[in-house]
Amino acid sequence: MGQSTAPKKQIVLVVEDEPLLRMMAIDLVEDAGFEAIEASDADEAVRILEARTDIRIVFTDIDMPGSMNGMKLAAAVRDRWPPIEIIIVSGHVRLSDIDLPDRSVFFSKPYDWQKVTAVLHRMAAH
Amino acid sequence: MADPDPNEDMHIERLEALDAYNIMDTEPEPEFDDIVLVASTLCGTPVALVSLVERERQWFKARVGFEACDTPIEQSVCAHALGSSDVLVIPDLRLDPRTRANPLVAGEPHIRFYAGAPLVTPDEVILGTLCVIDVEPRPRGLEEGQKAALQALARQVIALLEMRRISQRKDDLFRRQKSISANIRSSVNANLAAQEAGRVGTFEIDVEASMVRVSREFCRIFHVPVAETYPARAFEDMVLPQDRGLQSNDESRQQGNAALDVEYRIRVPGYGVRWIARNASFRHDEAGRPVKMIGTVRDVTAAKREAARVQALLDLGDRLRDLGDMESMAIAAGDLMAKALDATRAGFGIVNAADETVVVPPEWCAPGVKSLAGLHHFRDYGSFIDDLKRGETVVVADVATDPRTRDHAQALLALGIRVLVNVPIFELGRFGLIAFIHHDQPYPWVEEEISFVRSFGNRIQIAMSRVEAEQEQQMLNREMSHRLKNTLSMVQAIATQTLRPVAEREHVEAFEKRLHALSTAHDILFEQNWTSASVYAVVDRTMNGIGVRDRIDAQGPNVRFGPKGALSLSLLIHELATNAMKYGALSNNAGRVAIDWRIEGTGEEAIFRLSWRETGGPAPREPERKGFGSKLIRMGLIGTGGVLVSYDHPGFSAEMTAILLQLEQAD
Repeated sequence: MGQSTAPKKQIVLVVEDEPLLRMMAIDLVEDAGFEAIEASDADEAVRILEARTDIRIVFTDIDMPGSMNGMKLAAAVRDRWPPIEIIIVSGHVRLSDIDLPDRSVFFSKPYDWQKVTAVLHRMAAH
Repeated sequence: MADPDPNEDMHIERLEALDAYNIMDTEPEPEFDDIVLVASTLCGTPVALVSLVERERQWFKARVGFEACDTPIEQSVCAHALGSSDVLVIPDLRLDPRTRANPLVAGEPHIRFYAGAPLVTPDEVILGTLCVIDVEPRPRGLEEGQKAALQALARQVIALLEMRRISQRKDDLFRRQKSISANIRSSVNANLAAQEAGRVGTFEIDVEASMVRVSREFCRIFHVPVAETYPARAFEDMVLPQDRGLQSNDESRQQGNAALDVEYRIRVPGYGVRWIARNASFRHDEAGRPVKMIGTVRDVTAAKREAARVQALLDLGDRLRDLGDMESMAIAAGDLMAKALDATRAGFGIVNAADETVVVPPEWCAPGVKSLAGLHHFRDYGSFIDDLKRGETVVVADVATDPRTRDHAQALLALGIRVLVNVPIFELGRFGLIAFIHHDQPYPWVEEEISFVRSFGNRIQIAMSRVEAEQEQQMLNREMSHRLKNTLSMVQAIATQTLRPVAEREHVEAFEKRLHALSTAHDILFEQNWTSASVYAVVDRTMNGIGVRDRIDAQGPNVRFGPKGALSLSLLIHELATNAMKYGALSNNAGRVAIDWRIEGTGEEAIFRLSWRETGGPAPREPERKGFGSKLIRMGLIGTGGVLVSYDHPGFSAEMTAILLQLEQAD
């Protein structure tokens, strides 16, 4: 193919219903060196996941309108697309309230930009 | 008119005498019948009567030739004979002014002749007459012999009455004697019952033979047929599994180490659980070996249960205070109730009165008894829901015989329910809760126990309302926290976007980290329902948040700050840590920070003092430029100043103080 030696960027699907927060998350993902694809709810995210096979990581909020929330989306991802890594963020405080799927990482909002970036890199390295 | 018109005293004497003979309106008696028969034959009259005269009527104890057994006083001829003890003879009633208007004379049966011998008692009271009557006049009256015979017969009547009276007194005495005996018997029985209430049975166990000689009372207490001896095992095996080990057995008797004074429960088939207090002592042979264990037993069930109820009510308060959810409260309360009532199952159910259903959360059950947890329809078990809805306590002494449950007895017995008590609990007029107690064997419920259950139910009701309110509050808090954190996220997003062109990323990151420190402090406060946060938790979490917790030595008394103090402390130590990471002890791999705090003074004057001391870092130097972070630090806790900083060897240190009361305040 071409002469470019730049590695192809890995793709992160950002799922967030609040536009401002989605915008910030996209900036975070892109600053970390990924390509971001956005969805404003879980249903849209599922449609995207069904349409393409190159998504490496799903970054999702929990509380969203639509037929499923972020937890259900994360469970569906783990079930239907096992290789995809999952990051879950929420304004809920207690982790104990939340039953996380395997190989997923939870951040409480507002999240620490650096910590999320570090996790993205670790997941991509696998 | 037939008014005899003697004086009133005479009337009263006669009536009293008649009363004493207890003769009026009695059945005919042959002795009297014989007399009138003799009289009528003797005098050749169709009619003879024993006539007893009351105030308004005359009544015939014996009669021949006359239909009516009494007549009104107006028709009485005898009444005219009451004034004298002589025989009254009226040869022609139609001619005599006293009698010609008498209906019996003027009309049917048209009597014309009368002769009456007064019935004179030994007290000389005239009760009436023995009289003979004819429908033909007898101008010559009676012959002397007939008159004398009539008088003799009249005396015979009195003699009979006297005999009757004496015999009646005998009967009466006999009756009274019987009633006295009955009284004595019943008082003896009452006495026996009193003895049984505090009944004491005695026993003597032959250690070698393992046989026990028992008193009658002992047998009654253990509900076994009265017998002189039993194998000791017979009673040992009645003890409830929970109390096994309290009763003596072959081994402990042979060793002579059986407990001497114990209380245990026995299960009596068909009678339920009873509490027994047993006191014993050993008799030894010359060699010192125990040969006999002798002692007493008492049934102390009533006293034990009363004590247990009082204790249960006390315990309930403690248990409810410590528990935060309805399910564990229902179990704890059921447990206490069951123990106080020796029940096999006890708990609470949440009632839907309209649907006639009850949801039973896990309840207390005796070992081996199946839980009823789940949804039940009342009608599946009988009709007692009707009583519950009216607010009535339902006590079914036996599900097989109570009309409310007998048609569903199999369903209840299958669940191990022989005795059932349901107490409805109303809140604001709404029937929403029941307390239930089940026994698998007959249980003699007493009124005190019902009110005990009701009181339990009411307390549970209050506690559950409290928990409900707390849960609502908690949900509200959670929602508030969620919104707050989303708002902080929005601030973060706006700042990120706004500050995107800023070249000095350092400042952007500093802002972000302060935002996190604030968020962390909110998390801690939220966990305490926004009331307070411990100083240790704030230090611990804030340092953890920026990843330096393992380089911090934090120590101090347990002090709690209000929201304002907690947020302020969190921001302050966040700034100190940030500085330490840039310039101080945390900028290399070896330095450490000691955070110590203490309270100085007491009461309103008490001061909170916190020190931050860095060691092991590069040589400290005072920064040239005073940024926002330095300003924050100089502002001190809740902006009250009181901060001393030092850049002397061995490292940066800060000492801050504030009035404890202000830090503790809610706002």
